[in-house]
Amino acid sequence: MTWGNLCRIWPAIFALSGALTGATRNYDPAAVERGKTTFVASCGFCHGSNAKGGEKGPDLLRSVIVLDDENGSTIGPVILRGRPDKGMPRFPLSQEQIADIAAFLHNSIKTAIERDNYKILNIVTGDAKAGAAYFNGAGGCHSCHSVTGDLKGIGAKYEPVTLQGKFLQPNYTWEEGTPPHKVSAITATVTLPSGESVTGVIVHYDDFNIALRDAEGNYRSFQRVNDVPRVEIHNRLQAHVDLLSRYADADIHNLTAYLVTLK
Amino acid sequence: MNRTILITMAWAGAGFAQILDPALLTKPATDAWPTYHGDYSGRRYSTLDQINQSNVKHLTLGWIFRIKPGITPEAIVGGEGPTPQGPPTEPGTYQIKSTPLMVNGILYFSTPDNAWAVDARSGREVWHFAWKGKGGDHIGNRGMGMYGNWLFFETPDNHLVSLDARTGKERWHKEIADLKQEYFSTVAPIVVGNHVLVGVSGDSLDVPGFLESHDPETGEVQWKWWSEPVKKGDPGYETWPDEYAMRHGGGMTWVPGTYDPDLHLYYLGTGNPNPVLTGRSRKGDNLYTCSIVALNVDNGKLVWHFQPSPHDTHDWDATQTPVLIDAEIDGKPRKLLGQANRNGYFFLLDRTNGKDVLTAPMIRSMNWSKGIAPNGQPIPDPAKEATIEGVLVSPQTGGATNWPPPSYDPDTGLFYVGTSQEYSMFYLTDTDPHPEGWGAAERDAGHLGGDLEAIDIKTGKVVWDHHYPFTGGAVGILTTAGHLLFTGDGAQHLVAFDPASGAILWHAGLSDDLSNGPITYQLDGRQYVIAGAGDSLFAFVLQP
Repeated sequence: MTWGNLCRIWPAIFALSGALTGATRNYDPAAVERGKTTFVASCGFCHGSNAKGGEKGPDLLRSVIVLDDENGSTIGPVILRGRPDKGMPRFPLSQEQIADIAAFLHNSIKTAIERDNYKILNIVTGDAKAGAAYFNGAGGCHSCHSVTGDLKGIGAKYEPVTLQGKFLQPNYTWEEGTPPHKVSAITATVTLPSGESVTGVIVHYDDFNIALRDAEGNYRSFQRVNDVPRVEIHNRLQAHVDLLSRYADADIHNLTAYLVTLK
Repeated sequence: MNRTILITMAWAGAGFAQILDPALLTKPATDAWPTYHGDYSGRRYSTLDQINQSNVKHLTLGWIFRIKPGITPEAIVGGEGPTPQGPPTEPGTYQIKSTPLMVNGILYFSTPDNAWAVDARSGREVWHFAWKGKGGDHIGNRGMGMYGNWLFFETPDNHLVSLDARTGKERWHKEIADLKQEYFSTVAPIVVGNHVLVGVSGDSLDVPGFLESHDPETGEVQWKWWSEPVKKGDPGYETWPDEYAMRHGGGMTWVPGTYDPDLHLYYLGTGNPNPVLTGRSRKGDNLYTCSIVALNVDNGKLVWHFQPSPHDTHDWDATQTPVLIDAEIDGKPRKLLGQANRNGYFFLLDRTNGKDVLTAPMIRSMNWSKGIAPNGQPIPDPAKEATIEGVLVSPQTGGATNWPPPSYDPDTGLFYVGTSQEYSMFYLTDTDPHPEGWGAAERDAGHLGGDLEAIDIKTGKVVWDHHYPFTGGAVGILTTAGHLLFTGDGAQHLVAFDPASGAILWHAGLSDDLSNGPITYQLDGRQYVIAGAGDSLFAFVLQP
């Protein structure tokens, strides 16, 4: 394991490729906007203003004709000729208008495909008072943190989703002290058979080797055979890990609502 | 001596020796690894014991083969796409996730758009085939299938390509799915009789999954099985609100299945339903997504099904290898099927009828289930489906485990699987009554590490586990009659464990993490262990 990214084995294997076919194209925002206006006026009555289907017309974001389309190539003929057998009239739109509608539809599909860009909605729905009680009580947050000290103004510093992520899974390295110096939450103590022990930030750790950077900045590396030398791992943020199996979802919502108030 | 002459000599020497004997597919391999799992059972257990506990300490590097994907000067080129400028840029193209085949002394394996034949004794390239594709997700390719002299593999732009194993030259290619509907293809084709079974991937849009059987000679479609009922009134239709949701319901077929020649059944795990992370528009169990299905291999008809994740809303497909196990339960010999599922449970089924024998949790962090129903299915807690303000769920979408092949060792009666214990927040983002795609966002919320687990199939209890505080997770595993278990540790080592006790017996450093399922074979009286790590295959042998 390389320590730098706290990786597990599977991200290397499962890392999603960004090479999604339709998703890699970008559409001119002005064309998308024009297309939306034309679409709502001409098509929205049957297909819904978001193109997801209405009382008479099907969902166009799942339509194979639309998915196969390039810049109006397959939807153009349908718009211009209509589909009389299915009750769709013809619409005498210009090529430019059709291209704009295509841009609007493909951009909507792209928005559905690109899940990494989904916009998280308002997550601040909890009870701030209950959150304060959790902070000072069951959550045990107050034993390490102070809302007038290290967390002062934290609600103004981060968006709610980021703030929530920070208490669920904090960064494992940060700066503190005067002058500020880098600190790592996870350290290890290696005790050699001679009795000598070395403590430092873990650079590498597995069943066969451990490497540390000690307080003086020295790199120390040790071979491990059947758990010899003995390695003890310390995590200053272990309380955050332990909370994962104890949180009720309401605790998370309430704590978020409380921390957001710390402006 | 130039390369062309070398290759010509190799062919001349080999003649027609590459022909695959179909009988190899139904018995455990010793001098061959002729199909994705070595044999049809999916056990990934080899009867070879030349390398064993007494001598594994002397296992040493035999050779390394590093791939050079893309349109290299030596490559045999196929495909309909544009000629790429420079080497491929997709990272997946440089990751050997495929399990190599080994037939008559030649290894055959693939990465997206690329296939190789390599001398199994020396690690020298025999040929390299490169496909000019039109796009598609290059996340991985799981390998090749073989029938006689013919090889088969899938491309990211959804073509089934057949190559002549002797030369690497293309015989034909067939398009199996529409790239514009966001399908892409990764699975290793499985050959059963004269059926080449191929599946598809892709759940970015709401399209249906399917398994197809192709004729190995002509490539024509013999039958097609859809992962969902096709029309109103078909069996399983009652598990969907309407035909529209059903025909856009996902269920990809992206990991190879297993086969019982006596029952004539092909066992396959199916993918998750769509939209992926929200079930509002698809109320019901959503058959046959997240299911283990048994298909008649001659016509693709469904014989039975068992659904490990009814109405899944966390991307926990059931595609993990359905491993065929013959063992005694309560003193009676049984034909069983074991699966370590992405949702965090281990399932043991009767493979004659799909009835659950045992369901047992594999990870402690799991928090989405209200228990186990009398029929062995977990009961999803609806409170753990994505909401706007978010819910904390374990496992993550990546699952307690995933596609890397597990192993069952008949000598120990233990099932081995790599697991991880991780949490995510799931936020509903698409509040439309008809959400599209995934419909919700996931954010990583914390890790408790992972484990290599040894599960007693008769009790579901974890007999031993090897904990990795910072790594672990799904990983390819091989067991052998030499009382050895080979796997990776997430720290760029290939490790041999004692499968009975979990003790570490041997390890070797690789250039990357193990990225495929290791294999073994014996040639000229010498046993080889082959492992893929990133862009290289490593061969380990005992020095003579």
